[in-house]
Amino acid sequence: MQWAVAIAAFLASAVEFVEAFTIVLVVGVTINWRSALVGAFAAAATLAVIVATLGVALVQYVPIDVLRLVVGIVLILFGLKWLKKAILRYSGLKAIHDEEAIFEETRAELRARGEMIAPRFEPFAIILSYKSVLLEGLEVAFIVITFGSSSATNACNNVCGINSAAIGAAVAGLLVIIAGAVIRAPLTKVPENTLKFVVGIMLTSFGTFWAGEGFLVSWPGADAFILVLVIIYLLASFLLVTYLKSYKKRRLALSEPGTTSPVSAEKHEEVHP
Amino acid sequence: MKVIKAIYNFLVGDMIILVGILLVVLLLALNANVAALSPLRVISGPILIIAVLGVLTATLLREARAQK
Repeated sequence: MQWAVAIAAFLASAVEFVEAFTIVLVVGVTINWRSALVGAFAAAATLAVIVATLGVALVQYVPIDVLRLVVGIVLILFGLKWLKKAILRYSGLKAIHDEEAIFEETRAELRARGEMIAPRFEPFAIILSYKSVLLEGLEVAFIVITFGSSSATNACNNVCGINSAAIGAAVAGLLVIIAGAVIRAPLTKVPENTLKFVVGIMLTSFGTFWAGEGFLVSWPGADAFILVLVIIYLLASFLLVTYLKSYKKRRLALSEPGTTSPVSAEKHEEVHP
Repeated sequence: MKVIKAIYNFLVGDMIILVGILLVVLLLALNANVAALSPLRVISGPILIIAVLGVLTATLLREARAQK
């Protein structure tokens, strides 16, 4: 069992499961639970097939060095995407992800379509539930396969890595479903942006480490250098959030009436009517 | 085209990140395979870290400036 891999997969999966759960919940509450659950279980089965086939193919046919290089680059891309969103949200340049707003928005959309509670299967409800679970779950499957297959060590081969990541993802899924079933509401208390930030840092750090190994970089301290990478990216993110916050304040101060030109004031009004 | 766009959005969704990281990969690949560049191989690790930080900073500054 590789704890770092399992924890990274757990955190990444928790974020995605919360998003998928919100849509399944709204379909269940607005149309019916039977359709919502059929769609969700069908998507889960599709994902299981994807992980089983792609995971096995990767592990059996691709050499570990090539795998680490490719996975490292892809993880850097993926990690930077998450990190960018999280930093923009922390600095106030992007709205915090609001599950309750998504819940209300989807419910209003369903009501506008004339969908209402019915006991029989509703194809639209099944498709909506299936699509949301499949799309969010694909990111989870992607992280489980790439992370797990590249994390082979002497003590744990890449099949063991995939198993560790899959266990982390499964535990996250179970926790989200149990929490959701108990409170029967969108999981607004989950600190989604913090999770996204932590996962972004982890993916970027592991990605940099593996991509470096793919280019024959010998990191000082071997695997322990991942911790140094985590610290470097954490510090850089902190500095970027601080800078972007002050940048936003400066822009707002400049566009205050009386301190700026009419043109920039007009622009400010367009953004904040 | 739709499939390529979907994969792009799924993986990265940001041209600065994609182009920046691909350029770094190209640079490191040259560094690892061209004999004349062998003295630079010892700094491949720092180059990769600095490049990743540079790409992150560039894309965030672009987003901040776009929000006028």
